[in-house]
Amino acid sequence: MALDNTTEVETPEHVRFRYRVAGPVRRMLAYLLDLLIRAAVLLVVWVVIVIAFAATREAISGFVLITAFIMEWGYYVFFETTGDGRSPGKRVLSLRVVKEGGYPIGFIDSVLRNLLRSADFLPVGYMLGLLSMAADTRFRRLGDRVAGTMVVVEERGLVAAPLALHPPLGEGELDGFPQRPPLSAWERETLELFLRRADLTAARRDELAQTIAPPLAQRMGLQVRNPVRFLALLHHRAAATGRPRGA
Amino acid sequence: MTRTQDDFVSARKQAWAELEGLLVGRRFHKLPPASIARAAAIYRDVSSDLMRAQAAGYSPDLIALLDGLAARAHNALYSAPPYRTRAAWELIAADFPRTLRKYSRFFALGIALFVLPGVLGFAGAMKSRAFALKLLPAPTVEQLEKAYAEGFNDGREAGQNTAMAGFYVYNNVGIAFRCFATGVLFGLGSAFFLVYNGLFIGAVAGLVTAAGHGKNLLTFTCTHGAFELTAIVISATAGMVMGYALVDTGGLSRFASLRTRARDIAYLVLGAALMLLIAAGIEGFWSPSSAPPRVKYGTAIAAYLFVILYLALAGRRSKRATAAAATTTAAAMAPAAATTTAPAVAP
Repeated sequence: MALDNTTEVETPEHVRFRYRVAGPVRRMLAYLLDLLIRAAVLLVVWVVIVIAFAATREAISGFVLITAFIMEWGYYVFFETTGDGRSPGKRVLSLRVVKEGGYPIGFIDSVLRNLLRSADFLPVGYMLGLLSMAADTRFRRLGDRVAGTMVVVEERGLVAAPLALHPPLGEGELDGFPQRPPLSAWERETLELFLRRADLTAARRDELAQTIAPPLAQRMGLQVRNPVRFLALLHHRAAATGRPRGA
Repeated sequence: MTRTQDDFVSARKQAWAELEGLLVGRRFHKLPPASIARAAAIYRDVSSDLMRAQAAGYSPDLIALLDGLAARAHNALYSAPPYRTRAAWELIAADFPRTLRKYSRFFALGIALFVLPGVLGFAGAMKSRAFALKLLPAPTVEQLEKAYAEGFNDGREAGQNTAMAGFYVYNNVGIAFRCFATGVLFGLGSAFFLVYNGLFIGAVAGLVTAAGHGKNLLTFTCTHGAFELTAIVISATAGMVMGYALVDTGGLSRFASLRTRARDIAYLVLGAALMLLIAAGIEGFWSPSSAPPRVKYGTAIAAYLFVILYLALAGRRSKRATAAAATTTAAAMAPAAATTTAPAVAP
């Protein structure tokens, strides 16, 4: 069941869990957001210096250049080390930089991955970084490879509400259904995902169910009158018997 | 015992929500000890929930939820303080010069790749202006000739000093960082930038000297050069160390080999960055000052001596301490002593 954008981490206590690795688009959005923030800070510094110090034009440019330097090279390192691997942009897009073993990153890791931004940027517009990401199952750019880090998506999943049969089980509806429906783990999972989908119109739901229900019914020697209801009943019976076959 | 997914979820839901609640805050480590212990306990339970869910073939959204929860709890529970202020001092006092000495061959190569093209550029530009114009853009040439013809004997106004210091920080440190980062291309980027910068700087010096303003140039650049030129070579050295680790992997994968040297590389770059900040300060405020040439030459000699002595001597252990460290290392390699021996600290 390994989707191609997850990576498994095993901790020293032999706990295994999977991270969802962040792809280029999501990271690019975070980057753009951070870029906006950096530009905004630079603007604010410039305005403050002009108003508060009424400095000469040359002195202003000096302070602004120093701020630009800090924003270019220090921004990410500061936020990634103090914010547990999250710059403000990454925070908004629920991204986090972690070590390949799933540990939080340290100062040195952050320095390396962010200095190498300038190599990833080459020849223009992060082209090398994108190539490196495309050639890697964990979407690591060069900086990530050198520092031994990866960027993961952290989404708080929702605990799925129990899947109830609606309307409730009628008299004799399950007549003829096998006690343990002959479903593979994959098929059961498919049923469950289908029944949990709330974004389908009734017509589309019917249409999809019509393609799935008949072959399953045939396997169990049953007749299908209402495909969606049939799938719900089948899932209900399978869920009540616990472990699916072949899991 | 077999349980349906829905039974399983309703039985465990509360514990998951509790862990979720503990992880939400920004500062996990500021929580009271009891909460952290509680989080650790639930984390272990969640890990076994996860294995159970996978074994029982529960639905993917549930497994994704548990994966996410376990991952975030792991991240929070295992986080170390991201930095120590003491480490900054250790870097300056010992780690940086020590690391540079460890890679002295790369450093020597870096110096050669910088100085030889520099000499070439200087000699060429001294001989013919056409040579200099091949290397440098014409507007730069005119600007340079004008600037150094005027010299800095009258100093500059303070505002302009600040502006130039800012420019040096932004431009020169940026150049050094790029000089390092391009080393990831098997060291070729760093080597290229060294040769390029050597030729460029040499040609500028040659051009200005040929125009008869050599003294102005020398009084201006001599002091900050001690820090700036050395630091640029050091950051390129870090880049070449990085490139070499990709080639001579010692049986590891290329990037795994690189990661064994990651700490050393970071020390070199951070040290170089510090030196460049010092250089920018000097270049902005002292170099263009109206101090007489003699004083400037004096400070330049002092600066070079300081840099050389610092890089050669700082962080050296005394013989006794080295011996002690060696014994400790040997002891640490023995399995029984590994956990109990404290690392040696140089007095």
